[in-house]
Amino acid sequence: MHAPDLHTLSSAKLYRKFIIGAMICFVLPVLLLGWVSFLNYSEFSISRISDYFKKTVEDNRRIVELFLDERTSDLKFTAFTHSLDFLTDTASLSETFHLLNQKGHYFTDLGVIGLTGKHKSYIGPFDLMDKDYSKTFWFKGVLTKGVYISDMFMGYREVPHFIIAVLYSKGDETWILRATIDNEFLSSLVDTTRLGKTGEVFLVNREGVYQTTPRFKGEIMGKTTLPMNLFTGESGILISDSTVPTGSFAPEGSIPIAYRIKTLLVPAHSQHIVAYSRLKNIDWFLVVKQDFREFFGDVDHLLAILVFLHVIILAILIVSVFTARYMVKVVEKRDKQAETLNRKLMQARKLASVGELAAGVAHEINNPLAVIRTASMVMSELTEDEKDLNEQYRDHLVKSLSQIDGQVDRCGRITQNLLSFSRRTPSASTFVDLNVVLTDVVGLLENKANSSGIHISLDLQQNIPQIRTDRFELEEVFLNLVHNAIDAHDDKPYGSINISTRLDSARNGLVMTIADSGSGIADGNLERLFDPFFTTKPVGKGTGLGLSISYSIIKRMGGDISVQSEVGKGTTFTLFLPCPINEQIHIVQNLEDSKKEN
Amino acid sequence: MRKPRLLLVDDDIDLTNNLSWLLSRRSYEVSAVNDGEGALRIVGEQEFDVVILDRKMPGLDGISALRVLKMKHPNLEFIILTGAPSIDSAIKGLELGAYDYATKPITMTDLEEKIRMAFERKLLLA
Repeated sequence: MHAPDLHTLSSAKLYRKFIIGAMICFVLPVLLLGWVSFLNYSEFSISRISDYFKKTVEDNRRIVELFLDERTSDLKFTAFTHSLDFLTDTASLSETFHLLNQKGHYFTDLGVIGLTGKHKSYIGPFDLMDKDYSKTFWFKGVLTKGVYISDMFMGYREVPHFIIAVLYSKGDETWILRATIDNEFLSSLVDTTRLGKTGEVFLVNREGVYQTTPRFKGEIMGKTTLPMNLFTGESGILISDSTVPTGSFAPEGSIPIAYRIKTLLVPAHSQHIVAYSRLKNIDWFLVVKQDFREFFGDVDHLLAILVFLHVIILAILIVSVFTARYMVKVVEKRDKQAETLNRKLMQARKLASVGELAAGVAHEINNPLAVIRTASMVMSELTEDEKDLNEQYRDHLVKSLSQIDGQVDRCGRITQNLLSFSRRTPSASTFVDLNVVLTDVVGLLENKANSSGIHISLDLQQNIPQIRTDRFELEEVFLNLVHNAIDAHDDKPYGSINISTRLDSARNGLVMTIADSGSGIADGNLERLFDPFFTTKPVGKGTGLGLSISYSIIKRMGGDISVQSEVGKGTTFTLFLPCPINEQIHIVQNLEDSKKEN
Repeated sequence: MRKPRLLLVDDDIDLTNNLSWLLSRRSYEVSAVNDGEGALRIVGEQEFDVVILDRKMPGLDGISALRVLKMKHPNLEFIILTGAPSIDSAIKGLELGAYDYATKPITMTDLEEKIRMAFERKLLLA
């Protein structure tokens, strides 16, 4: 009864091996490969994008710087190479203005302002001749610094603009050349750089006021939502969150992949990557800003692939679990079949070797038995002849001699049974009606059963097909089984034996059961039941060969014999005898055909 | 009817002695030899009706002795005695012309019956 435990143990082991095998051979390498390439490529991708960001911001800063430098130089050059008289002459100022704007529409207007803060001359679309600039911030600025570039402001014209002013001071001649930069032109300088779908480039001053109109949200002169307090140093990259106006987080140099994974669940378009760089000639920042999602597009794509990879691995794991379970089941089934086959083979081999042994043993025993028998007869006849023998002595002698005879008979029976094994030649087959054989056997043993208080009942299915076999062998089997069934009641004063037959069309054969209400067979004995010389009957009563002979006979017939037993309740033997129905019909037809021919 | 003259052939001297004694008491004329060669020799020298022949003997065994004797003396009847009966050897014996086939340990009653039948056949065929 240990076998099933071992089975489950070994199949559990096998199952575990399958799963671990799948893990080691497939899941782990793929996971490792997936994660390593994901981490590697995403780091690479992020640093590449960051670099591109930095480069974009630096390039644009340089362009703007250069532009402002050039315009400042233009004005300085004009101021220092032309006399005040020349420049205060409206016609020549106009000429100069057009010369300055020759390469591009850089300047909106140009004017010369005296120390009074009023225009000495002015060229431009606005009427500003009588305006007093002496109180303005830029006027003060240019006087102290010599050159002044303003932030965007509204001024008298009430339009966002910024100016470049240069101070000319030589001897007692001091005046200011002031020009307004075309707002559109500045915007067009930075706006040409386009970054994907969500990228934008713009200028802000330190207070976060837009100096150019951003591509998306916001107006020139409007206040940005960028966290200006984080714009430290000359340049940097940071992440701003538009849902939190103060912004957050300023990673050093680049953005790690871990950050993206951490922020996977933030709502779309709420976060941005911002790179900034401070202009050298004015306290403005050039800002490149892109949607977080787009910036991490490649990484997100990789993440999606990684997630997909995990899903696939999960699917494969599930499949391999099911496959393993199925395979283990198949193996288990095969094992069980092999075990059954093995057991049957062992039994057959045991019987075969016992058969061979039996023939030899029978011969070796029968010869001495013959001598013993004849010797005992000689003695018995001599005793008869001796007339003046002591009566008591004679009685003893006769009794002993008859005991010798009885034991010789018994030995002879044993060797006879033994020899049943070595019978190799096919027995004489005839068509046999199982029910008839059974009824005959029961008839033979009914008296014995009745005297032991046992009732034998028959439950025979009528019209079952005849089987082709040796009637005498079949009788021997039935005799053995019914004998055993009767003997099984030795401990009980009464009991019953039920014998039934039925046709099993599915298996093409007849099933016969013989169930007794006897003492049953202990578990340990069940396994050895069909072994030769195994008996639980008292010494001298059973040879231990009946069931093994029955077993070998039934096996030879191509049938099967099995037993169920419960100690104290009884035992049921089930016999299966094949009767190929097709052959049956075939034979019947042949018989009919031959009848017709005759 | 006269009693048949018997020849016992068996390698077991105890058995031939006992059987000789028992059969002589029953008025049979009994001779006994203990090997196949002895049987061939004595059959040439004396007249017998029934030979009781052990199948398995060292040297010339029962079946070979039967083959030779039956050829030379077709009138002689044989009963084969064996310790290990098998259908093969029984068929072989009967094919070679043995009258019957008996398994040891045989009872005197059975043996006498077989001897009687064999002798009757011999008389019938003679």
